[in-house]
Amino acid sequence: MPPPLALTVNGERRLLDDVPDSERLLDTIRWRLGLKGTKEGCRSGECGACTVLVDDRSTLSCLTLAHEVDGSTVTTIEGVARDPVGRTVQEMFARAGALQCGYCTPGFVLALVGLLKERGRAAPTEELLADLSGNLCRCTGYLSIARAVAMLPREGP
Amino acid sequence: MSASPRPDARLKLEGSATFGMDLEAPGMLWAALVPSPVAHGRLSSVDLSPARSLEGVVAIGAADLSRLLPGAGDPDRPLFPSETVSFRGQPVAAVAAPSRELARQAARAVRVEVESLPVVSDLEDVFPEWPGPSADASPHVAAHVRARDGDVEAVFRTAETVVRETYRTSSVHQVAIEPHACLAELVDGEWRVRTSTQTPFGTREDIASLLGVPEASVVVEGTWVGGGFGGKGSALLEPYALLLAKATGRPVKLALGYREEFLLGRTTLPSVIRMETAVTQGRIVARRVRLLLDVGNSLPGRDFATGYSIGFLLGPYRTPAFEVEGYAVRTNKPPFGPHRAPFAPQCCFVLESHLDHVAREAGLDPEKFRAEHLWNEGDRTALGQAVGSFGLATAFEKARAIAARWRAEAKPDHGVGVAVGFWSTGTGAGGEVRLLLSPAGLTVVQGEREIGSGSVLSGVAAVAARCTGLPREKVTVVYENTGRAPFDSGVFGSRTTAALGRAVQEASCSLFGELRKRLDSPGLVHLAVVDGEVVAETDARQRPVRELLTDLERATGGIVASGRHYGKGGTIDERKVEVGTFYPYTDFTGAAHAAEVSVDRATGSVRVVRYAAVHDVGTVIDPTTASAQVEGGVVMGLGTALTEEALWSNDGRLLNAGLLDYRIPTLGTVPPIEVTFVEGFAGAGPFGAKGLGEPPIIPVPAAVAIAVREATGAHVTELPLSSERVTRALKLL
Repeated sequence: MPPPLALTVNGERRLLDDVPDSERLLDTIRWRLGLKGTKEGCRSGECGACTVLVDDRSTLSCLTLAHEVDGSTVTTIEGVARDPVGRTVQEMFARAGALQCGYCTPGFVLALVGLLKERGRAAPTEELLADLSGNLCRCTGYLSIARAVAMLPREGP
Repeated sequence: MSASPRPDARLKLEGSATFGMDLEAPGMLWAALVPSPVAHGRLSSVDLSPARSLEGVVAIGAADLSRLLPGAGDPDRPLFPSETVSFRGQPVAAVAAPSRELARQAARAVRVEVESLPVVSDLEDVFPEWPGPSADASPHVAAHVRARDGDVEAVFRTAETVVRETYRTSSVHQVAIEPHACLAELVDGEWRVRTSTQTPFGTREDIASLLGVPEASVVVEGTWVGGGFGGKGSALLEPYALLLAKATGRPVKLALGYREEFLLGRTTLPSVIRMETAVTQGRIVARRVRLLLDVGNSLPGRDFATGYSIGFLLGPYRTPAFEVEGYAVRTNKPPFGPHRAPFAPQCCFVLESHLDHVAREAGLDPEKFRAEHLWNEGDRTALGQAVGSFGLATAFEKARAIAARWRAEAKPDHGVGVAVGFWSTGTGAGGEVRLLLSPAGLTVVQGEREIGSGSVLSGVAAVAARCTGLPREKVTVVYENTGRAPFDSGVFGSRTTAALGRAVQEASCSLFGELRKRLDSPGLVHLAVVDGEVVAETDARQRPVRELLTDLERATGGIVASGRHYGKGGTIDERKVEVGTFYPYTDFTGAAHAAEVSVDRATGSVRVVRYAAVHDVGTVIDPTTASAQVEGGVVMGLGTALTEEALWSNDGRLLNAGLLDYRIPTLGTVPPIEVTFVEGFAGAGPFGAKGLGEPPIIPVPAAVAIAVREATGAHVTELPLSSERVTRALKLL
């Protein structure tokens, strides 16, 4: 077995023993840490439902091995409200009704928060939408999600 | 009614909604299914010993069923085949293990020996020519329907214009982002399963019949559902998980991987459709429709799709003389499954493209031609059912007006198409609710999980608020499992708000009857909220609900009232039916859509520039979720229209079982959508509402195809309108 894995998850430092080399970050988050808000969809990087933030960058947790991100900070949907940008994104999704079944929702929220952190809040809506195209939603037809993005206040950090 | 936020938004945005995939229990084992490696073959042996030799692994196959289930299951639908496998991926055994990885490894270790038999992958291999009189005896015919009226042959002989065409449609998948998943446990002889399902009660019935156990011994508890679209409408994994729970004495989790999801998740399969129409003096005088529908490994005689689909191929048009015939054809693919408005978008595409073509051939204005034949209230369907209140003609007018505006503005390489489709609000077997009126508000207790459409948490709540006069925030819709909730047949067929809403209406009547008694008032009683507390008022006085409760009700929470709704369709003229079963409609729901497209003539690639959807909904119950249904349905339809196509090889292999190769619409491809509701044409639901879950997908492929024809002249007779097919059609010009 590899040495213990150290992650800071939603602000809390976690030391995990006996994590196999081959374990995906997705499974570590869901089954070891019990944070089931991170969703498993295709498990092959095609749908985006498992998106989390690793050191503030939007990351597909199904294609990431847990040990690859040893020492990193991980933010999941359960912790996204700790961040003002995360809270604002949640609020805009609620106001725009940008969800139906809700299964892709955590992935969309995290992907958008990651983009805003990378590009700043002033990034043009069109650009943000283009970069969100890797997240799949089957219920909403995306228009309400686009409205949520357009509603984001463009000032602030 | 004013817009209300989704009651489930917060929960889902915080990641605290538990879906089937998220289920977990102490001591739980993970299961995996062992797939048939071929699409058709005789099983020589299923050797479970390599799996069983792995530590902690339990494996079961056909030979274990009689030991585990002395009552035996359904002989027509064995859980594991003992002799013949009929599609690739068909479960031949199942394993349970302490970890998911080990379960997969164990499933792979099972040695399946099969003697291959010839594979029938394509329905045109079964019937290269139209099936003859002996076809009913063929093992490939799952269902056969035929109906007629008038001397069709004679009318065709003397008509001014006769158009004959053949269309083909492809296999499409629901692609719910959450795969099927459940967690099963056997507790004190009770078969308990938590599962991501659209039909807790239907799944309970399926489980009981598949396992051969009494329905009362099965309890199904729905989780949050990560998308259904028809794919989660009946039992799939639950019986296997329950059997393994019995075999191991532990809770067992079974979840599909996404590739398995594509294979086992029950798709809509390909079809070949022949359309013939005779026109004289601008009028349709006779039609002939023939359908061959691939139903995969569906059971003989249990097919619903064929007779119902024929109705959508005849369409919402007056048809004096007709002859229709359809076959459900069995092939070595997984069983056919319902996909949002099962097979109606394909039928609508065929019918609208055909009538558009017929009008052009006859030198008539295609939209005017169709408008002149549309049903109005009082007309009869081809099969003789009286058409009820129907707003499709109004919707069509509105969509044509939008299209006319767009045409005036359109660039030269753009085209605008308009198509109409119809649907009928489903009833299922029926539904019941229980109301609980407490000082704090009204609770609606019922047995459906919200699958995302809003039909339960928003739709039913809106109806309850409107029936009782209470504000929406004082109404809570509560889910209970099949052991506690009153019966309802499921979230499908655009029925939920309509059927449960009607049950709420009935329950409200009974609740107000009770309140009148307790207030000793024969007159009107209203409910209101004073200082946060529910009060009942008459013209004369006002009393808090708190004071109206009996001691028992104070303990149980409030005044209980029940309501039920078991709707049914109209009647068809059985004299016109020669073979099989056709189905009447409950009500008549219409939609008219307009699409503007641009087509790249070099590549054949189609881009939808803007879109408009006009829906005859009777009454809008919840404006927010109503518009959301239309947007989502239209975009799903754009996938059916342009890119979605599951490809099957000659040996019955699904070639593109993944989201990179099976392309659903993405954020970057979605056009703006203008949504309009036509109200006032009453349907089967509460306050005259009509179902809205499925109709938005129906006219989409047709509207896009007609727009492509307007843009380029290309007449595409196959779905989807891929670049390749559009290019081929352009070359024929």
